[in-house]
Amino acid sequence: MINFILMVNKQGQTRLAQYFQFLSVKERMTLEGELIRKCLSRSETQCSFLEHRGYKIIYRRYASLYFIIGMDLEEENEMAYLEFIHNLVETLDKYFENVCELDIMFNIEKAHYILEEMVMNGQVVETNKTQILAPIHVLDKAKDE
Amino acid sequence: MFHLSQMDQIFLKSLADVVRTSRTTSQYDKLTFTTQTIADIKNEIQSRQESVRYQALLKLFFLAMEGNNIRWAEFQIINLMGCADFQLKLGAQLAAHLVIDSQSQGLIMVTNVFQKEFKNGHVECSATLSCLGTIANKDLSDSLLTHVLKLTTNTKPLIRKKAIAVLSKIFTINPLNIPGNLEMVIQQLQKESNISVLACGISLFCSVMKVAPKLYPLFLSIVYDQISKQKSNWLLIKLVRISNKLISLEPRFQGKLIEHYTRLLNQTNSKSLQYELVYSIMKYFKNHSQLYESAGDILKQFLNHQDPNLRCLGLECLTHISSSAGLMEFQEQILESFKKSDYFSKLQILQLFKDFTNQQNFQTVIEFFLKYSDLESNHKIIESLIFIIMKDKFINVDDPEKLLLVYIPVIAQKIDTIDNAIRFKELLFELLTRVPGLKVYSDQLCNQILQTYAIQSDTLQGPTLNIVQRHTQLKYSLNHREIIFKSLIMIVGESVKLLKLDALTNIIKFLEQLNILNCYESSLSDIDSLLFKIYIQIIKTDPSNDIIPQIEQLIKNIYNKLHNISIVKISFFYESFILNKTKEQLQQLYNLYAEDLPPINLEAQKLIKPPEGLDITQSFQIDIEEIEKIKNSNNDQLEQKPIIQQLEQADLVSKEQEDQNTQILKQEENEEELKPLNTKTDPIPKKVFTINRDEELPPGVNQNDINQSKEEE
Repeated sequence: MINFILMVNKQGQTRLAQYFQFLSVKERMTLEGELIRKCLSRSETQCSFLEHRGYKIIYRRYASLYFIIGMDLEEENEMAYLEFIHNLVETLDKYFENVCELDIMFNIEKAHYILEEMVMNGQVVETNKTQILAPIHVLDKAKDE
Repeated sequence: MFHLSQMDQIFLKSLADVVRTSRTTSQYDKLTFTTQTIADIKNEIQSRQESVRYQALLKLFFLAMEGNNIRWAEFQIINLMGCADFQLKLGAQLAAHLVIDSQSQGLIMVTNVFQKEFKNGHVECSATLSCLGTIANKDLSDSLLTHVLKLTTNTKPLIRKKAIAVLSKIFTINPLNIPGNLEMVIQQLQKESNISVLACGISLFCSVMKVAPKLYPLFLSIVYDQISKQKSNWLLIKLVRISNKLISLEPRFQGKLIEHYTRLLNQTNSKSLQYELVYSIMKYFKNHSQLYESAGDILKQFLNHQDPNLRCLGLECLTHISSSAGLMEFQEQILESFKKSDYFSKLQILQLFKDFTNQQNFQTVIEFFLKYSDLESNHKIIESLIFIIMKDKFINVDDPEKLLLVYIPVIAQKIDTIDNAIRFKELLFELLTRVPGLKVYSDQLCNQILQTYAIQSDTLQGPTLNIVQRHTQLKYSLNHREIIFKSLIMIVGESVKLLKLDALTNIIKFLEQLNILNCYESSLSDIDSLLFKIYIQIIKTDPSNDIIPQIEQLIKNIYNKLHNISIVKISFFYESFILNKTKEQLQQLYNLYAEDLPPINLEAQKLIKPPEGLDITQSFQIDIEEIEKIKNSNNDQLEQKPIIQQLEQADLVSKEQEDQNTQILKQEENEEELKPLNTKTDPIPKKVFTINRDEELPPGVNQNDINQSKEEE
């Protein structure tokens, strides 16, 4: 089960945070700070999997943004979640057309909505980009009208 | 609620404005900016205009991502969930997880809101279901269960998928909701064709198995059915995962899966699915050789892959092969992978070998890791090697002599931390204690290890361990080299009687080379003790040896250096013994103890009652006449004692000869591989050493000496 999904930049600023188990603000800030420091200290020759504070962490870097997933320590397929991160980025890229950090900052509710369509209750529920973006296209059409 | 004036609306800050201002604001002004923004949001979120409230909500989102506490907005957000505008409602539902937890009191209000939303269009309904999945607690899930169950039969797959995903949370929170409801959901899933809905169904089964594993028979048919026909990688990964749990509960299910696993393994190119299958096969399908071999081939590809993620996963998979025989099959690939791996992967590999090294691969493993240790991982490699050697009282070691003379010197040279030096010391003591006869080689060991100490810099560097010596109260610091030095000195001191004259002479010459007074100041008392033992031994065997003056000079230098009173007192005795070396000195010693000892101190006896019949005013010097009487009565016994001793010695010698005659010839030694590691050629063993793995130590070993040395450390 996924416990949290984060998008954090190199300066340690969180651009998107979705927690599937409630943590206080202080706990979140501490966790995010520690995770980004750990991810920044790793080189490209090292694997994208590590353990931190009882979570299994899978991360991937896209330009200046780190996409971080924290899961339970029980057996999970790390490779599958690494591919899920790529799927998420591709979906965001399809919607925002050449997505960057600023797109997520200025359209934070849409980024959250896309993520909610993909992950529910810590489980991946949809990976088809068309299916994921269908509701949000309906919303955009209704807004334009 | 209030209405913003036109003037206020002009100056209203949107999310974009807040973001731009935040990026340009300095760190010192950030708190002011945040406080001002929160104050604005508190006003705007109560506005009647939906556009204003929407912007306030977006700004709240942004502040939450920046690390600000927005729980004060709980009521406002719940309020917004029930408004008519969908965009506002959606924003509030997305923000709900930031302010609401399972203990929130506002959840009571959410029930009615959600019940209304479930009757709306599919987009609104799906957003509501997503929100419910995030914030549901026991009360909310119980009150909305019937509504969610109805939605599992909705015509839209989007709604069905999300309803099933919410059900998995409801069943986890309150397992009492499972009976009756689960069967209904399973019936619907059996007719389901949409992959996303099926994937959510499989996740539901995984959640149910966590809280109620005995319900597994309900899932068997549907899982098997889907494995045989599905092509979606995501769904197949979930199916293989749940199959693992089902196999552990129902082993007969394993046989059904062989055909499908073989097909999937051969057809798929997806690395994540391959990994899932290989993991499952390595753990549960060891008895099926063909499938196991195919999985083994893929695992070898993972271990040799350029991608560090796949290498890491390959190693992770190997930890689930529970036998060392299984690991031997992949040993070559693992060791190759070690050469290219990063620090963390190296730690994984070391852990594997710590668990699974045996007698067969012990030599290969030790030689490989000593050859390929680097600066970063050296301390971990040495720690692991010492663990492997000492595991289960040296269970992996079949040639203790080679271990002592070939591998241990190399390990000693590579030690660079205090922890490892202490472990190394324990290894040496254990080995020499459990293998009788190895002490004969202690001088060779000492020379090999300490040779580098003479060549390297005289100043001792690196982190140090601070120690206070109990009996002298001296404070000193030891680094890793000195810890090893002390332990070797002690071992040689214990073995002095077993060593030949040449060996003892070499040790003295070596100690002269070292700048011991400056570099090994903390070990001077140990060196002194060793020198004294060597001195006594040489005097017994060859009193006219040329090395004796050198030993005397060394001892003098040491005592000049040491300032402790108790050691100086002892040194007077040593000094006088060395200077005169005559019977007169011995007679003086005898006379020292021949005098009457003073009676017991009366003051000391005040607290302790003396035994009855004892006169504490009288001296307890033994009556000489009495001694003569006892002596005469035991004359016969005294005469027979040497004869008994001779007989016992003869028995021991014959037993040793029998043991030697029954030993098997040794295996061939691999000199070439060890050349870079060790220049000394391996000695041809003359006898085989057996390791004593009993709890008690062999006879002749003084446990107190070992305990004392450990206490000092």
